[in-house]
Amino acid sequence: MSSRRTQRSLEAIAVLDRVSYVYPRSREPALSNISLQIGKGEFLGLIGPTGAGKTTFCLLLNGIVPQFYGGRFFGRVTVAGLDTLEHPISRLAHHVGLVFEDPETQITAVSVENEVAFALENLRVPREEMVVRISWALEAVGLRGTEKRHPHTLSGGQKQRLAIAAALALQPELLVLDEPTAQLDPEGSQAIFAIVRELNHALGLTVVMASHAAEELAEYADRLALLRGGELVQIGVPDEVYGDVERLRQNGVRAPQVAETFCLARSKGVPVLRIPVRIEDGLALLRNLPPRRPPAGGRAGEAHGVREIRLSEGGQLEGGTSPAVRISHAPGSAAEGVPAISVRDLHHVYPDGTHALKGISLDIHGGEYVLVVGQNGAGKSTLVKHFLALLRPSQGQVLVGDTDTRELVVSDLAHRIGYVAQNPDHQIFSATVEQEVGFALRNLGAGEGTVRAAVDESLAAMGLTSVRGQHPLALPRGDRARVVIAAILAMGPETIIFDEPTTGQDYLGARAILGISRTLHQQGKTIVVITHALHLMPGYAERVIVMREGAVILDAPIRQAYNDLDLLASTHLLPPQVVLLAQALGGKHPEWPLLTPEEVAARIAEGGGRRCGSESNARRSAGRCRNGSAER
Amino acid sequence: MSDAQLYAPIPDSCFARLDFRPKLALVTTLTIVAFIWESPLLGGLLALVVALACLGAGINFRYLRAPILLLLPFGLLILVTQGFFADAVIRLRTGQAALTPVFVIPESVWLVGGAAMSVEGIAYGLNILAKMLTMALLVPLLVLTTDLDAMVLGMVKIRIPYKIAFVLASTLRFFPLLLSDIRAITEAQRLRGLALERMGPIRRARIYAQLAVPLILGVIVKSQMLEVMLQSKAFTGDPARTYLHEARLGPGDWAVLMLSALLLVTAVALYLAFGIGRFGGPL
Repeated sequence: MSSRRTQRSLEAIAVLDRVSYVYPRSREPALSNISLQIGKGEFLGLIGPTGAGKTTFCLLLNGIVPQFYGGRFFGRVTVAGLDTLEHPISRLAHHVGLVFEDPETQITAVSVENEVAFALENLRVPREEMVVRISWALEAVGLRGTEKRHPHTLSGGQKQRLAIAAALALQPELLVLDEPTAQLDPEGSQAIFAIVRELNHALGLTVVMASHAAEELAEYADRLALLRGGELVQIGVPDEVYGDVERLRQNGVRAPQVAETFCLARSKGVPVLRIPVRIEDGLALLRNLPPRRPPAGGRAGEAHGVREIRLSEGGQLEGGTSPAVRISHAPGSAAEGVPAISVRDLHHVYPDGTHALKGISLDIHGGEYVLVVGQNGAGKSTLVKHFLALLRPSQGQVLVGDTDTRELVVSDLAHRIGYVAQNPDHQIFSATVEQEVGFALRNLGAGEGTVRAAVDESLAAMGLTSVRGQHPLALPRGDRARVVIAAILAMGPETIIFDEPTTGQDYLGARAILGISRTLHQQGKTIVVITHALHLMPGYAERVIVMREGAVILDAPIRQAYNDLDLLASTHLLPPQVVLLAQALGGKHPEWPLLTPEEVAARIAEGGGRRCGSESNARRSAGRCRNGSAER
Repeated sequence: MSDAQLYAPIPDSCFARLDFRPKLALVTTLTIVAFIWESPLLGGLLALVVALACLGAGINFRYLRAPILLLLPFGLLILVTQGFFADAVIRLRTGQAALTPVFVIPESVWLVGGAAMSVEGIAYGLNILAKMLTMALLVPLLVLTTDLDAMVLGMVKIRIPYKIAFVLASTLRFFPLLLSDIRAITEAQRLRGLALERMGPIRRARIYAQLAVPLILGVIVKSQMLEVMLQSKAFTGDPARTYLHEARLGPGDWAVLMLSALLLVTAVALYLAFGIGRFGGPL
């Protein structure tokens, strides 16, 4: 890969020279004094927390910033030799294809082929050539045969592939993707990365991708640019950037779990010369570590304890690694008495005939923290909507406490089950934070004194007291989510459902919301989380319900669920890297199966890898884990 | 209503396969005819024919039910008001000295005592209702049987500036997104204890007014994103662009165009010459 990188860096497709940019009506620069070159055929990853300037950087490359937005612009950007200030966006569109985060709003046409044709029509490409290009672009993204379909009949991942096809049809030299997988399920996300990598490798297309998907960028990107507050903090190959875990942490960015794990292991004295950032490198390193002491209860033959984990080229698991025993969740084991939610042989058939739920039975007891996972269309949302009485069972029964939800309307359940939607903006209706938090209680007929007391308590719990007089929509997204949670808390529900709470959040934002969920859980609330972000959930969830095609295929404690790799693979869910490392370590350790980087690092260290020779070395390792970087 | 219902597929029917231009011509003709005719009988027949045409064109009944249900309260209001208060207009149009009473409000009733509901007034109300129904049903007949890309192409062919055609089509495209947002917001409100089903109409209206804030915010965000996306796709609104598909008129299209012209001329001629369609006329 390094020779390819060197070869490609000889010729630049885009050059940014001391670029600064301030949006209209803004005081802070969105980008500040950025200089870099993007080589032809390069795959450049953009990483950084929310507000780092990643989207502005993307829009800079086709002239939308500053031509469309206005504002103050300093420096110079050239793409394919064209100055982005001197050439209209329509001219730059010949060279730069752009794909956005939201697959819904970037679709303009009502058929797949017309969607791909739209930009070509604008650029006056003759019809005959259009037909050829559409066919080629759809072939490249695996959407041949869908030409006449309405884009809204496609899945989220297919819509993003369509957006890529529409950009590709322009035959651009540079493909810019702004968080293209942020709203996709793991299967859709994997498909996007695979296609982009293929375009980059096979066609030599230059790719710039902003993403929080650390594991994938480590795998696919040639270089990474770390942005924060509009500044370019660091640029280098993934080994340098992701290997510097401490710096990433300081900048609010998550490192791949494999890097985090070995960084922790190094801090515990394990001799790790270079922090691996890709799972295959991590697995190789595990195999090459000096022999360790057999763990308590382990056999001598497991001295290395490293099991064979096979990965395909795309980093996919090839199987054969699941634990021998599946430990199913024992219903009723979590608590005695009436379950908080009880589902009995639940079927749901939508009016269009889709059989979305097929005989689901489960109990959720008070005080549990339950994670519901599965691909889009697996039935997760349909199931949860039954808990909220938003849907009625076609067959079977859902009980909240001892009440059948058929006997209730949605509002009856409001004070028993709170629901935090994926998009907090859809749950905000009032002019001030205070009114918003009191909204539900007033609806439920509470007196003004009760409302005031509950509002005060909820605002304090969510740290929102200081903004109680502000308009909720004027707050940052993370705070808006907290407003919604405060509003739900004011009703005093015993159960709170979080629907994809980490979508659209950066690492710190996601951690903050999950931290709130943990606090609520510790206070005795029952928590149900729907998410695709499996890597974020250890340390929070206790129990995992895995769904596929309307059925529950596994209901188990999180350690067992995450280690059932075959089953997860069967529903296209990727286990966190740390699980692969833990399984590679194998052995019959009392704490096995391991689930977090801390646990695996401790296991590696406990295994007796040669400890760093001197105290000063150990201190250095503990203080900072870095592979070396090109600081700016 | 699910997302699948919001994005209704274009039905596979003879009418749906027509070019946008003859469809537009037919819909325009029927609108004019509905506007001209004041006969409740003919107007009602026209509304029925249009409803049947919608079903024949492959439009699912649930998409027709919504405009009909929406018109129902207005229709009742119109029947009552016209039945009682359309005397002057009816006398002017028919030359009748007296109308046929159906029901007289006792004199003792304050303000409206003595007012009479007349047969002619009800007929006039039915005529207005038929016009409204026809026009309301013509919208789905045109919109739900034509894909938006074909609509843009058709509008450009009849020399509507591309930019305007695109904006019209985009507005229609945004409609399902808007409905989806409304649904999400009302759902969220119900989840916060709002028992819409137990509220009176005034309180419910006030609650619906609160939808405006998140809705407008959503629309602003979406439209700005759309604008940025259009820029990235080299959209300038320049009419000098190419098109993937051609809009060619086939024999069926020409037949509908001629039929529309014939219908319009005939209806106007019969109205003027024999008073057919006139209120109180032969039919």
